[in-house]
Amino acid sequence: MSIGIRAAIGLNRVAGRVNYRQLKLAAFISPVLLVLVWGWISHLQLISPQLLASPLEVASTFQELLASGELQEHLGKSLSRLVLGYSLGASAGLLFGILMALSKNVEALCAPLFHAIRQIPTIALIPIFILLLGVDESFKIAIVIKASFFTVALAAYEATHGVSVNYLEVARVYRLPWTTLYGKVIIPAIFPPVLTGLRIAFARSWTVLVAAELLVADSGLGQMMQMGRDMFRLDIVLVGVVLTGLIGFCIDRSFKWGEAHLVRWRVA
Amino acid sequence: MRSISSFLSGLSLGRRAVGLILPLLLLLGWQYMSTRGASFAYAFSSVSQMQDALRELITSGDLQLNLAASLLPGLAIGGTFGLLLGISMASSRLIDTSVGPLYHILRQVPLMGLVPVFSLWLGNGDTAKLFIVCLSAFFPLVLATYESLRQVDSKFLEVGNVLKLSRAQQFRHILLPAALPNIFTGVSFALAMAWLSTIGSEILFNAGAGLGNLMMNAEMNARMDILVVVTILIGIVGYLLTFVLYRITAYLFRWRKTSSE
Repeated sequence: MSIGIRAAIGLNRVAGRVNYRQLKLAAFISPVLLVLVWGWISHLQLISPQLLASPLEVASTFQELLASGELQEHLGKSLSRLVLGYSLGASAGLLFGILMALSKNVEALCAPLFHAIRQIPTIALIPIFILLLGVDESFKIAIVIKASFFTVALAAYEATHGVSVNYLEVARVYRLPWTTLYGKVIIPAIFPPVLTGLRIAFARSWTVLVAAELLVADSGLGQMMQMGRDMFRLDIVLVGVVLTGLIGFCIDRSFKWGEAHLVRWRVA
Repeated sequence: MRSISSFLSGLSLGRRAVGLILPLLLLLGWQYMSTRGASFAYAFSSVSQMQDALRELITSGDLQLNLAASLLPGLAIGGTFGLLLGISMASSRLIDTSVGPLYHILRQVPLMGLVPVFSLWLGNGDTAKLFIVCLSAFFPLVLATYESLRQVDSKFLEVGNVLKLSRAQQFRHILLPAALPNIFTGVSFALAMAWLSTIGSEILFNAGAGLGNLMMNAEMNARMDILVVVTILIGIVGYLLTFVLYRITAYLFRWRKTSSE
């Protein structure tokens, strides 16, 4: 990550001899400049206003959508789909990944099929899912489950495989009961890589959900953007783009915060 | 990929055969569902139908079109720009602090969410699709180039200082060779993303030719046979692309002991 943004969000307070406060300000130069240039171009009306809504227009559309309650409804729908699908997919993936790494039989039985299906991008499965499940809620949730399950399962599988044999041998020497073995050895050992897997899975689920909503939906952020596209309302589309980016950024950031703070003992 | 090969080499023949049980069961179940009557046959097309669909697909040339019209130019253009920006961000603190934050903000927007914007700006044609593919290759490569140039061991740079190399020489003889293996990891990531967005943009733009469009038409006409064949094909092609790049990387950097990992 670039130094500028590290400073802006307060990571790595020691950035060499560079003045921290200066960096923090510098990090905002290019985004602010972009918005200014954007406003200037739309003010000059070089491009038809239908194709380039001004920043102010986007802000007022945002307020309008917020005031009418439309935005909250779409956002709530999208997020509830995301949370439901993700919690189902990620917890199943976690259990399956660990199981597959621990049991040779499960591995022999499931691994080939698992690795084969894993190769297919989720977005390419959207048409099949539509045909099998229809265009209702179940289809969107199933898409999110697919996206999160395979990512988390792979991370959990590789993490459990990567637990050093030395740890297990020490545990055997001390004759640890299996509850202690799991609670004190295996789970702490696989926690950091699994957390990274969970973060990537969340990002993927979010992208795929927005794509699915763009294609077929009666509600949700993606549908709002699709509607804006059909009505040539670029302001609505841009509100959607900014919001999806912002939500993705916040979720990613909170997972990274978790990675940095929850596994502190590892570095210490 | 590593997990598959280690998986295969670690198991005896008998255990490998066990792995075929589930796929075979799935196939049998599928075939059974397809023979149960018209209400099921629309979703579960029979295996023989899929064979026909595959033959149809290969002769139609949609796959070749995908690779030649979207993926490769997108990867080349987006990748080159990504590489250049990554290099300039890593070598100039000014560019890093001024462009870096903007890059990280824009990177967060899901690419598929940009489809409505680009369709308004660039239309529904090939330009818009190509642009999405370019972006999908661009973003991961900037990060990979930047990070791998930054992580070059400072010992190497000190040697360069002792030898009084100029900045260009330092870059050409020390930084680039040291960072290149990691940059190639970024390229493989960019390749996967570009393939994904090639398919994704075709599904979402619903215009023109290509595999994604073929799938949407098949979905509209409830042609499950085509859908299954295309989906599997997409998976296989994605895997093969990654595999070929992996072999090329392993060959290019065979002088590096750790390059295969």
